[in-house]
Amino acid sequence: MAKREEYIDKEKKEKGKKLFGIFPAQYPREILWAMNVLPVEIWDPPLEVIHANAHLQPYICSVVRLGLELILQGKCEGLDGFLFPHTCDSIQNLSSIVSDYLGVKKPCYFFYHPKSPYQDSSRVYYLEQLKGLVARLEKQLGPLDSSQLKHRVQQGQEVARVLKQLYDLRVQGELEASNADFYRVVRRGEYLSPDDFLPLLEEFLAAAKGSAQGGPAVIMSGVLPNPKEILTLLDELGVRIAHDDLLNCSRRLLVPPSRADDPFEALTESYFAMPPCTTKDSSVSERVDDLLAKVEQSNAKGVIFYMVKFCEPELFDVPQLTGELRKRGVATLLIDCELNQNLSGQLATRVEAFFEMIS
Amino acid sequence: MKYFLGIDVGALSTNAVILDVRREIVGYSIVQTGANSTEAAEETLEKALVMANIDRAKITSTVATGYGRISVPFAEKKVTEISCHALGAYYLYPDTGTVIDIGGQDSKVIRVGDGGKVLDFTMNDKCAAGTGRFLEVMAAKLRVSLDELGDLSLQASQEVQISSVCTVFAESEVVSLVAQNHPTEEIIRGLHRSIVNRIWSMVKMLGIRGAVTMSGGVAKNRGVVSLLEERLEQPIHVHTEPQIVGALGAALLALRLAQTAT
Amino acid sequence: MYLIKNLQYHFMKDLGLPALMRFSQRTKKRRPKKLDTCFGPPLTSTGRLKEIMTRHYLLSRYAEGARPVAWVTSGAPVELLRAFEFYTFYPENHGALCGAQKVGSELCEVAEGKGYSQDLCSYARIDLGVCFSGRTPVGKLPKPDLLFASNNICQTVVYWYKVLAYHWKVPLILFDTPYNFKDIADSDISYMVGQLEEMIPVLEEVSGKEFNYQRFQDVIRLAKEASLTWGEVLATMKARPAPMTIFDAFGHLAPIVSLRGLPVALNYYRVLLNELNDRVKKGIGAITDERKRLMWDNIAIWYKVRDLSNRFAERGMNFVAATYTNAWAETISYLDINHPFESLAKAYSLVILNNNLNHRFELMERLVKEYGVDGLVIHSARSCKPYSVGQYDIKRLLMDRLGVPSVVIEADIADSRVFSEEQTRTRLEAFFEAMEA
Ligand SMILES: Nc1ncnc2c1ncn2[C@@H]1O[C@H](COP(=O)(O)OP(=O)(O)OP(=O)(O)O)[C@@H](O)[C@H]1O
Ligand code: SF4
Ligand SMILES: [Mg+2]
Repeated sequence: MAKREEYIDKEKKEKGKKLFGIFPAQYPREILWAMNVLPVEIWDPPLEVIHANAHLQPYICSVVRLGLELILQGKCEGLDGFLFPHTCDSIQNLSSIVSDYLGVKKPCYFFYHPKSPYQDSSRVYYLEQLKGLVARLEKQLGPLDSSQLKHRVQQGQEVARVLKQLYDLRVQGELEASNADFYRVVRRGEYLSPDDFLPLLEEFLAAAKGSAQGGPAVIMSGVLPNPKEILTLLDELGVRIAHDDLLNCSRRLLVPPSRADDPFEALTESYFAMPPCTTKDSSVSERVDDLLAKVEQSNAKGVIFYMVKFCEPELFDVPQLTGELRKRGVATLLIDCELNQNLSGQLATRVEAFFEMIS
Repeated sequence: MKYFLGIDVGALSTNAVILDVRREIVGYSIVQTGANSTEAAEETLEKALVMANIDRAKITSTVATGYGRISVPFAEKKVTEISCHALGAYYLYPDTGTVIDIGGQDSKVIRVGDGGKVLDFTMNDKCAAGTGRFLEVMAAKLRVSLDELGDLSLQASQEVQISSVCTVFAESEVVSLVAQNHPTEEIIRGLHRSIVNRIWSMVKMLGIRGAVTMSGGVAKNRGVVSLLEERLEQPIHVHTEPQIVGALGAALLALRLAQTAT
Repeated sequence: MYLIKNLQYHFMKDLGLPALMRFSQRTKKRRPKKLDTCFGPPLTSTGRLKEIMTRHYLLSRYAEGARPVAWVTSGAPVELLRAFEFYTFYPENHGALCGAQKVGSELCEVAEGKGYSQDLCSYARIDLGVCFSGRTPVGKLPKPDLLFASNNICQTVVYWYKVLAYHWKVPLILFDTPYNFKDIADSDISYMVGQLEEMIPVLEEVSGKEFNYQRFQDVIRLAKEASLTWGEVLATMKARPAPMTIFDAFGHLAPIVSLRGLPVALNYYRVLLNELNDRVKKGIGAITDERKRLMWDNIAIWYKVRDLSNRFAERGMNFVAATYTNAWAETISYLDINHPFESLAKAYSLVILNNNLNHRFELMERLVKEYGVDGLVIHSARSCKPYSVGQYDIKRLLMDRLGVPSVVIEADIADSRVFSEEQTRTRLEAFFEAMEA
């Protein structure tokens, strides 16, 4: 399979797709697919930060810093637009820096999703937000074909279904794949078109079925599995990540299917049925219940909170979550680090000590 | 006679402990880690062998720990210092429920259960504030030796408040305190207080159980220990050689390793 | 029980506390203040302000059981709660108070001991520290029956209030205000109006009172007038010399933040406005030799207000405007008693921190022109990302587009441990040199 840059380039040149840079985290990708746009998500580009520090204080997380760096290094020239979902204060302000201050000559879109606790007004609003986004996009991209949207919504559900199968096997210890392989494949969805992602997932599913190695199971919570070294370290120790509560993985990928006929209704229904998430202001107790359920299903011995340094939405919930888990005898480990920074010796020691503790 | 070796390659000191089959310490040593951890491991082993008065061939098994544990080629097993400090402290003081290890680069608080098993632990973040390194930097700024820190701090009748949490900021704070002619003892006591505050918040996160044992080089600093005792409102066990606790735990594991192998 | 508590509350509010406070003021020994030659005569209204705020906090002890108690974020549409006669407590205001009294850091440490990262907002850490330890300089906080948050100022308050909801086991009402990226759409307004309407049954239940539309309109009227008057108070600083400084205004802000919609806030600002107008007429300045006029960006550095105030006054520099103090004068005036819900939605969603950075820059440009600002001090506050992210660009644009010099101070609102005296001194001195050159 081609590398990310090559793939994206080909989609544009050969398939005539428009490319959109998408900042984290939740957005209606089906709408973009239906409008012949390839959403390319910007989470953790492997860059050295040179320019972004002139715009961002040292206390801003590296997701935002690297995303901005990507733009400032001129690596987004090929894109046809940006989309900023309303994920947190930092992304909110980043959107405005990019759109108002940097003089970036590309259309910038903003997608606001209603926050929990949900009311009737939230549902009405979400549906309107979807339609509003479509209306704005149509000005740039031409009219949305409703049968395309229907098709893409179904395809999105298909992707979610296979991902769910993969997660279920992993929970039961019936997926052979290493942590590193599993997340490498899952994260390909951040830029692959569903036309390519779906077959990839199915192939992986077929090849990776088989019993997992026998070490202890853990759950990983946080924003994304980066620095990636933790995955290989856990693999070496024989620790299996049996489930996750990661913003860029299960929290937005395991979307329950909707039977609604109308695609907008279906997208709305799915949004409100997604797992609890900090970026939607889910209550602490919902998150506790969700984590405990995952622990129980997968018989996990511990939960690793793998935090992006300075990520407020995540860090606020951690003390409550660890408290509840510990009360029930589930071990917890908190690690916060900057993206792409390798695992320092100190962090590796913490992970290993955690492993010694739970095995 | 069989012997069991534990080696702790820390950021600053590399320590060895040799145990005999009766679990008695027959030799130990403490050397500077320096730039080459493999060499430091060799050096500390040699010294410990001399003290134990035995031949290297008599060592049945070796466990390495500490951040440089991967650089000990002759170790059969590598285990983190968290597990080792817990085991070592439990061996020395079986009523230990909490271990506080303040080393050069890291500080850790460990909750210890039966048999010296780790129940929970926490470590400082990346920042050096709250570690031995912080004290070294400050001692150098104040031109006093590490050995003197503790006594000077105990002599202080007052203390100045160091408000910064960051080593770099604290350093410039110290510079200006010196410029304002604050007595050195009072500054030192303030610095110790700031370490203790750091450790205190780590301790609170885990909650104290049972007796507290302190290990790592900073336990040699009586100023820190006494402020911490005051804060915890309970006495702290400190071994005469607190730096070898990790190596001791590793040696205990080496013994266990040999026993399960046979 | 309720009746007794209620009577007690009213007695203390109207008679008991004022008497008590007069008494305690008399017994407190007045320290002869060293009159600093840099400053003009102090404002006499300040005494009144202290009285009002002390009474507000003291009253909280009698509020439990007598009034439904709500903890409210500074940007939430409290007017709706006032219609149900909630006693409202403002953790942010309390956090500022702790910061100003220099106990912020130790309360932060309490929260840190419970696992809250040092990288989190210090108001939040202080508040959680108070919840866990019960320690506060105001004696005791009233337990909440309800938490009321709006994300128009930041998402942080919602994360923080979720923790409070979990800790106190009380309901949390969120007023979710879509970010104004380009324009605010009708669907945004109707979403917000819908939420306000959905709150009413919850508020009725928690307070045990029926919604009284007329009372609601009264509150809206009072809030709007107080906000307009606050705007006039700030506008007096357009005069040369300015009759007060922004550092004073940081203090005088408390009633519009925490007592908005109550007659006491409006009355206070009328008194203050009179005094200021009088000073303008007489040409009395806040500092004796006003040579340069500055603007402040972001929340105050509460534990350094006095210090900074002296340092600038010494050089004949006066702060005459701030985006922060302006926030309570800017949009609350959109309130309209004939369309209370829609106008609340507009007034609260268009506040500076929920608005795009173009809006922010235009606002600053307007303030620079109207107030004759020569330079800016930009407080980069670790705690507050929505206020701080973008400031580096603002600094650059201020120079490029308006030729206005500025300096960035890396600090925090209430946690003094991240303040570097040395670093700040160097930066400020360079700024003074640039301004005086
Ligand atoms: N004689 C002494 N008096 C006071 N303090 C001392 C003395 N000797 C060492 N220390 C302190 O102990 C620290 C080193 O501790 P230790 O040897 O336990 O570190 P380490 O194990 O190498 O580091 P780490 O565990 O972080 O890898 C020094 O930084 C110093 O602050
Ligand atoms: S890591 Fe956290 S703070 Fe950073 S962009 Fe993601 S949600 Fe926002
Ligand atoms: Mg050590």
